[in-house]
Amino acid sequence: MSALGRVRQWNAFSQVWHLFDAKWQNPFQSAAVITKYLMGKHKPFYHPFANCGDVVVVINSRHIALLGDEWKKRVYFHHTGYPGGASWTLAWELHEKSPTMILEKAVYSSMKGNLQRRHTMKRLIIYPDDIIPEDIHTNISSQIKQLRKVPKVLESDEVNNFPRIFKLPVDYVPS
Amino acid sequence: MVFQTAALFIRSRGPDAFWRKRRIFKLSAHFTGRKRNCYSIAVRYVHRALAYATQSRKLKKEDMANLWTTRVAAGCEEHGLPYPLFKDGLEKSNILLNRKVLADLAIWEPYSFKALTQIAWTKLREEDDPELNEVQETPPSNVITRGLLDK
Repeated sequence: MSALGRVRQWNAFSQVWHLFDAKWQNPFQSAAVITKYLMGKHKPFYHPFANCGDVVVVINSRHIALLGDEWKKRVYFHHTGYPGGASWTLAWELHEKSPTMILEKAVYSSMKGNLQRRHTMKRLIIYPDDIIPEDIHTNISSQIKQLRKVPKVLESDEVNNFPRIFKLPVDYVPS
Repeated sequence: MVFQTAALFIRSRGPDAFWRKRRIFKLSAHFTGRKRNCYSIAVRYVHRALAYATQSRKLKKEDMANLWTTRVAAGCEEHGLPYPLFKDGLEKSNILLNRKVLADLAIWEPYSFKALTQIAWTKLREEDDPELNEVQETPPSNVITRGLLDK
């Protein structure tokens, strides 16, 4: 193999570290995209038995967005194995306990249940905020595009300083 | 001796039990435990294995087709074109390659495959495909077709 071919092979088969910003993203739709990168399904030489998956580092998992009233309605089930050990946790309760767990569970359940799944999950690193340890940060060389744009949130002084057409009196009560 | 059905063939009793059993034991040679050497157990597992083999001849073809789809989809999404559009564009350009060949091209001939995505993309642009509006990547500029020049 020529030197160029060898380098090309190294590039093709090297494990790439991707960054995914979960801010204002739907975790269940994001999970499908993250799974694709974790399993290596974005590479044309993908094979289920080959170890061709990449590493995905997810940041801002604390700021994910659930649709509608899903925070109140979505329930996570857990059973300790003992009688009466069943417990149901609402999504907002789970998110308060662990801000990474909803995304982790979403990715886990978006993959088929086989022996490979737990090994694939080891390549997923989730951080609740945008602070990444230095040793992880140095490896990242690619970014996965967000599924939807982060909407702009107006600051309070931005709202107050917005030009007004007229000013309502202080004691005004809408009738 | 002519067997009208497979069931009769299985039920057939040869003149020599040794050879009849040997036929089964040859098929159970790679099993482990008693299903390898005890005839009455071996014959059940051999029948089951043969049934699995029959089903799997079809499944193997489906699995390979799914794998090719995944590979081709990965290949064309690398260049920014979703798989359904890629397939559509190729068909409209009268490039009649099947998924197996496309998957091979995506792996071994990445530059040829890139050219195919560009041709498919340009053909869809030429026909003003409405689904192309949802693609956010920039279309290729290096393919010129007669239809595009007329516009």
